[in-house]
Amino acid sequence: MRNPEPDSPVLSIGGRLPGAASGAPITRLFESLRPDLVRFAHWLARDRALAEDIVQESLLRAWRYRDALKDPAAARPWLLTIVRREHARMYERKRLELVPLEDIADTYADPKAADTEDDLFALRHGIMRLPLEYREPLVLQVLGGFSTEEIAQELQLSSTAVLTRLFRARNKLRVLCGMAGVPDGAGSEAGQP
Amino acid sequence: MNCEQARLLIGADPRSSAAQLAAHLGVCPACTQLREEMLAFETRIERALQQPPDLARVRSRRQLPQWREWALAASVLVGLAAVLGLWLLRPSDTLAHDIVAHVQHEPDSWLSAHEVNAQGIGDALHGAGVALDLTSDKITYAQSCWFHGHYVPHLVVQTAQGPATVLILRHEQVPGARSFHEAGLNGVIVPAAAGRGSIAVLAHGAGVEAVAHQMQQDVRWLPEPP
Repeated sequence: MRNPEPDSPVLSIGGRLPGAASGAPITRLFESLRPDLVRFAHWLARDRALAEDIVQESLLRAWRYRDALKDPAAARPWLLTIVRREHARMYERKRLELVPLEDIADTYADPKAADTEDDLFALRHGIMRLPLEYREPLVLQVLGGFSTEEIAQELQLSSTAVLTRLFRARNKLRVLCGMAGVPDGAGSEAGQP
Repeated sequence: MNCEQARLLIGADPRSSAAQLAAHLGVCPACTQLREEMLAFETRIERALQQPPDLARVRSRRQLPQWREWALAASVLVGLAAVLGLWLLRPSDTLAHDIVAHVQHEPDSWLSAHEVNAQGIGDALHGAGVALDLTSDKITYAQSCWFHGHYVPHLVVQTAQGPATVLILRHEQVPGARSFHEAGLNGVIVPAAAGRGSIAVLAHGAGVEAVAHQMQQDVRWLPEPP
């Protein structure tokens, strides 16, 4: 399922992929996945503009090393992995300007709320408030469709550690939404490779 | 698989189809109920993740309703007015502070209920070169006190609002009336009508301005002793 992600940097070429004008199939495939990638990056970076930058860099990188994509059907997880790593690289390269939590986190839901737009609104902001260590595996699992083992490999964690983080992420969201927390018998995140 | 392991797996991956979990759910109603809850919650999480938050909506939500903005502005103005009022009512200078200190130093002056006779009032006024056209107000305390290097009449006048202390300050000039509030006392210092000197009135309650105004009319300066 996985394709190796190249490490070499690529140059920005003005917001469009090479070959976009000519309608190359690989470019069309990448562009068709762009909304998913931006959504994924947005959840990681918590900022739309930054997410756009991350995706642009990721698509350029992917296009440059498109020959590494052996199976077009695996393009989505391959690109999501590149986006995740590009996001991590951005944090390593520079200290990002953080979005103030109060701007994204007017979050506490009305415990009485049903599954309404307001409820979703609170839940979205609850997810945004999760620390990256919880938010990232949750987004990889739910949005990306990655298995526990794949997330563990990507994050260089043990499967147990990933399960623990996923459990705690959902538990925090439950509490945030006024539900009872599930007793945490997960213990520590042992077994990290 | 025991309940603890099942809870961890359900919480981490509600859609897990692991055989061990399925076997446990077959015999554990509590974990089955938890899984149903988590599956319902998972649907909400999936829906929530389809659309990252719109920060503009958050900011608009964070804006206060208009009436609350006005209320906030009004409360700020009230606060500023209160601060300004306290600033204006503070002892305006050492004179006001010293007057308050002097009155507090003679607390018995407030307690007297007996009207001082004309002789007693005359004795208090004489040394300061002051004459007083007595009004209907009852004077229950009259002393000549040493204040700022001079003897000054120290009177307590009974009014409808309670006792009020009056200090007649022939040697203290003030450019205009000024009020102050200190140590629970309301005070005012006004220029004497005779063109020099001043009159200070203090009370625990209201009405000091009225007493001061009355005193401005009643006080006369006598020729200073050589």
